[in-house]
Amino acid sequence: MNLTKSSELSQTRYRIAELVLEFNHPADYPLAQLLPSFRDFQWLDSADTTDISITVSLSKAPIPEDKGILRTDESIAWGDRFRFYEKEDTFITTIINEQGNAAWYLQSDRNFEHSLLYVPESTADEQTGVITWMAMMIFGQASLLHQTIMIHASVANHAGRGVAFLGKSGTGKSTHSRLWLQHIPNTVLLNDDNPAIRITDKGVLIYGTPWSGKTPCYKNEQLPLQGFVRLQQAPMNEFEWQNGLKGFIAVLPSCTSIRWNKELFSTMNTILEKIIAQVPVGYLKCLPDAAAAELCHSALFPNE
Amino acid sequence: MKLRSDLVLRTIGSDHLIVDPSQDMVDLSTVYTLNSSAAWLWEQLKGKEFNIDAIVELLCENYDVDIDQAKSDAETLLQDFQNQGLLEK
Repeated sequence: MNLTKSSELSQTRYRIAELVLEFNHPADYPLAQLLPSFRDFQWLDSADTTDISITVSLSKAPIPEDKGILRTDESIAWGDRFRFYEKEDTFITTIINEQGNAAWYLQSDRNFEHSLLYVPESTADEQTGVITWMAMMIFGQASLLHQTIMIHASVANHAGRGVAFLGKSGTGKSTHSRLWLQHIPNTVLLNDDNPAIRITDKGVLIYGTPWSGKTPCYKNEQLPLQGFVRLQQAPMNEFEWQNGLKGFIAVLPSCTSIRWNKELFSTMNTILEKIIAQVPVGYLKCLPDAAAAELCHSALFPNE
Repeated sequence: MKLRSDLVLRTIGSDHLIVDPSQDMVDLSTVYTLNSSAAWLWEQLKGKEFNIDAIVELLCENYDVDIDQAKSDAETLLQDFQNQGLLEK
């Protein structure tokens, strides 16, 4: 892949979960304005090394006839407009623009450390939506090279410690977080959809990110991770700890990694293995009521 | 035959597992669990070209089993590895 750095490019840098994400973009392209959820994450120290780079081009995308193997065309966010291909040592993501006359075209190296993004004719709102989403997809893969996993979870901050609620879409992760906010004193939301988890010398930390689903909660904060809780809707409230294998299997489906780069996927499993050795995992069958939050809280914070 | 080199045996507490990421469009990724003797054998065999006799030998040397039992256990294990697609094609 050919990524040339032109002198006309400006750099806009963000630091998310201690990783520096750099956009290289035409100087007159209002990138920072287009990414309001990234505002708290701006990183002005240009001496720091870049971990992940995305170069933005407004030129016409050189979409090749042969885009390689179609790996998936399923996307909750983009529906039919989305395609994801593997071609030689790159991955290609395309999204048809809203007008339907051109496509967003993203070419990433195998580990998603470097990507090149071609912006088609589009409204500012569409640019915000697509670039925010693509940056999340890229971050979710490239972060794996740095002991960091992005997970699908809603995270409550209780007394300075994070609790990550997991579950399939529609299970009620956000609802359960809100129940904690309402009924458990000293609780606020850290992130409602896509936090990052990192193994550090200070233990396993959970980080807010610029991605939080439908809830605008983009906090540049980190907390020690108290535990994971997988949720399942039920006609009663019941909490059970999941040890070893069960804990690993309860968290695995909520972790981000593409399956088509087996090295990245294996790295994700290795990081998760280390996290599970340090962080407990619970399983909560629950109603959407105060008692569910209270039961969960007393299991995770038995000394309060 | 040979174990698939892209699979990694993982140990969590006292449990052993292998996660096999599905390469199809639909995600049918699988988690295999291994008991401690199967996990031990996996570690002995990984990266090597082997046959059933090698497994029988390993079992006889390290476990208190007679040769017939070892042969039958080795066959069962190999069949499992084969059926689940854990061997190199």
